[in-house]
Amino acid sequence: MGEFEVHRVRFFSYVPAGVRCLAYHRRTDRLALARTDGAVEVYNFAANYFQEKAIPGHEARTVEALCWAAGDRLFGAGLGGDVSEYDLERLRVKRSVDGFGGPIWSMAANAGGTRLAIGCEDGSVKLFHVVPDGVQFERNLDRQQGRVLCLSWHPSETHIAAGSVDLLRVLDVGSGRTVQRIMVNYHVQKSKKRECVVWSVAFLSSGTVVSSDSFGRLQFWDWERGTLLESHTVSTSAVLSLAVSEKEDSIVVGTSAGATYQFQLLPVKMGSQDKHWVRTKPFQHHTHDVRAVAHSPTALISGGLDAQLVIRPLMEKMQKKGYEAALRKFTFPHRRLVSCARKARLLLFQFSQHLELWKLGSTDESGKDGEVLPVCRAPEHLVQLKSKGPEHIYCSCVSPCGSWIAYSTASRFHLYRAQYEGDSVSIKKVANVPKLLLPAYQLQCSADSGSLFVASDQGSVHVLQLLEPGGCKHLHTLRPPSGTPEAVYLLASSADGNWLAAASGDWEIHLYSLKRFKHHCTVPTYSCAVTALAIHPVTNNLVIAYSDQQLFEFSIPEKQYTAWSRTVQNSGLHKAWLERDSPITHIAFNPKNPSHILLHDVYMFCVLDKSLPLPDDSASLMNQSALKQLPETARKRQLHAFKICKKFQPLLFADLLDENCLVMVERPIMDIKTQLPPPIQQKKFGT
Amino acid sequence: MRGRRGGGRLRRKLESFRAGLGAMARRAGRQRRAAGGGSAALPSLPSFEDEADEAPEEVSFDVARAAAETERKIAGEAARRHRELLKEKRRRREELFKEQKRKKLLPEAVLQELAAAPPGRQSEVTHAADQDEHPEDGPARQSEGHVPGQLKKDKPKGTRSKGNYMAVHLKDQSLTGLHQQTAKDFLYTHLYGAGTNRTHANEFFSLENKKNPVKKAAVQFVDKSWGLEEKQKAMKFKKCWLAAKMKSLV
Repeated sequence: MGEFEVHRVRFFSYVPAGVRCLAYHRRTDRLALARTDGAVEVYNFAANYFQEKAIPGHEARTVEALCWAAGDRLFGAGLGGDVSEYDLERLRVKRSVDGFGGPIWSMAANAGGTRLAIGCEDGSVKLFHVVPDGVQFERNLDRQQGRVLCLSWHPSETHIAAGSVDLLRVLDVGSGRTVQRIMVNYHVQKSKKRECVVWSVAFLSSGTVVSSDSFGRLQFWDWERGTLLESHTVSTSAVLSLAVSEKEDSIVVGTSAGATYQFQLLPVKMGSQDKHWVRTKPFQHHTHDVRAVAHSPTALISGGLDAQLVIRPLMEKMQKKGYEAALRKFTFPHRRLVSCARKARLLLFQFSQHLELWKLGSTDESGKDGEVLPVCRAPEHLVQLKSKGPEHIYCSCVSPCGSWIAYSTASRFHLYRAQYEGDSVSIKKVANVPKLLLPAYQLQCSADSGSLFVASDQGSVHVLQLLEPGGCKHLHTLRPPSGTPEAVYLLASSADGNWLAAASGDWEIHLYSLKRFKHHCTVPTYSCAVTALAIHPVTNNLVIAYSDQQLFEFSIPEKQYTAWSRTVQNSGLHKAWLERDSPITHIAFNPKNPSHILLHDVYMFCVLDKSLPLPDDSASLMNQSALKQLPETARKRQLHAFKICKKFQPLLFADLLDENCLVMVERPIMDIKTQLPPPIQQKKFGT
Repeated sequence: MRGRRGGGRLRRKLESFRAGLGAMARRAGRQRRAAGGGSAALPSLPSFEDEADEAPEEVSFDVARAAAETERKIAGEAARRHRELLKEKRRRREELFKEQKRKKLLPEAVLQELAAAPPGRQSEVTHAADQDEHPEDGPARQSEGHVPGQLKKDKPKGTRSKGNYMAVHLKDQSLTGLHQQTAKDFLYTHLYGAGTNRTHANEFFSLENKKNPVKKAAVQFVDKSWGLEEKQKAMKFKKCWLAAKMKSLV
């Protein structure tokens, strides 16, 4: 594997925001997710659950409800009182319309996706038409006291069920009248009466209204008679969310204590027609409140305030036991939040509204393999850059020499020049930054720190020249010849400054020559999302990692895949490699060892040695510890190309500083959990 | 010196205690006599009666009543005086508040000036400010026929418009903000308020650790911000202890 001196960095105090709502889109097999800080993400299940799009949040824009409508358009509404449509190509809010009903608690689209209903703070339910350029107000339904916390359309689109405090209403869409009022709290004794919040509601096609409330009950009501059909006490804490499968034979509920339960409609006796809802499977994947659940045809999806997205495939829906049926958990974004100035040994951490610049510590001692060396100079927090305004940061970067720092928000691009004199740092904002089309989706400095590449929308990349002492000039804009509506989200530049690779949202990779500012060629399209890109400093080969864990090597000068890449494709990668569930987020190279490629995902760090044979499925992929115990001669025979280290977890960033020095940025899960809001107390027997 | 003084205090206390007991016994005797001229003193208290051994003075019923009445009258008067005093105090304080409020207000001249400003212009200014605040809700406002450029020109150039401030119509914004705040408060009380049975993260995860076959470091050590006070106290104590140790060595 090679020996490295490793900087084990644990001072990146990143805390991901909790999951607030989920919306699953059956036709495109995508999941939209909104976080409590207003960020919206889209996961593509077909591309191995890759987080395809991420729209950073906004201080004043909380999202309480998301829904897909009119094909694959995504709408969101929140306590700000606006209904907004998201532009998934340019990753921002396309347009928003005031609901004029105060904060919006809930939103639901009808089965056809042509109308949206919103539930407001003032107790009104409003209907909006989805029109080609946004949404248009249609009418108000009967307004009553009490905020409307949840909504659900009847599949026939004639009625809407609305839940508020202590109360459930059924509204007729045609007349706009309330046709049924159900007091959820009716059966509770007067002396014990507390407010009962109906957190979530679903309207089944049989005319049954399902409600979940703060008393921990899941209840089934006959809406025409207003009577209780069934009541299940799920938990002692509140049941915050529920979702029904498309066939209406399964319900998933999420509770405040972090548990999720599946209910299934099952016959009481074998072969009988009489069916009842039965609680079948409990899951405890979260430690905090599960405020959002979704039900895909084959899986239960839950998102908690502990920032985890959990996808639990249902075994009975799977053809065979295997990788497809494995549980998926996502806590960290599938993007890079850390950038590294290799020469200056600096790390730049990106938070939602600020940046932190740290200087790595150092040691003057050396030791054997596995030893922890004492630090003679502690890591130093140099600068904290706070972004002004309510918008969150899209991307950031620091130049390899450490003297330029750039970041972009939705409407502003900032460039700073940092100067280091001894121990002090001075930071100066570069005035007169060229006016670009914002936001920038990715920033990348060239290896000589002379130019900055700004990824922009419609597949274009701006090239800025960085001028000493603190200036910049727009040189050129690179555009793909065919044109694309999607934004560029990954960039890679070559060490000699000749080539630039850009991957856009339609998964195309374009290569540009920076000498002539011309489009050079396009990498053959692959049917999966690109997760990481890098150009080899010596051979100028482009290494591409895709979300289905495939690796490709493309020779830029020859405009074709390299021989090694072809052999990899012919023999196939190891099964254990293909079954990892987090994408590779960064690729680096060792200039001393041109055959080495350094890759990492959240759970492992890998040195890929192209000179060694590929492992076949019978060999073990993670064989480093086994190799250590073998004698030298036997070791030679067992060696294969993948040298994997799982010591550092969860790994947010790894890079090579110089030939035998690595930096690993870890973020222990426990550190995050202690920063989260308080969880529900759970009684454990025997403690 | 100190010990002697303490002993003195103790003795005085004892004496007063004894006197109190004596008085009690005397009162008891008087009551007994009033009830029907009782003969024998209580058997349990004779030893304390030695100071007031002489017979109690004879007091007639009328005299006693008169004394009681005057006593009551005096007490009533004192209470009334006290009430009056309080009333006076309250009145004075109220006056003080009024005075302070008046001081806080703008000077009379300024207030008059503001009142005298042409009302039409003021509304226009607020309008312009509104438009600046919400550039996106253009169509609704532009239908009223205002052009922002023009409005900026006829900003009132009165005596007090020199400072770089701008009048903004805050009403709408504060209203939505208020609604949003009540919505957030509702959410907070129902998720984290009283009766939701929330616990501290430290307790929650330590419990898990307790049941775990593999014991890890207590969670409170994970977050550096926890137990800061205790840590500082410990540091202080250590310093003090060291200092004391050094002193004793010297």
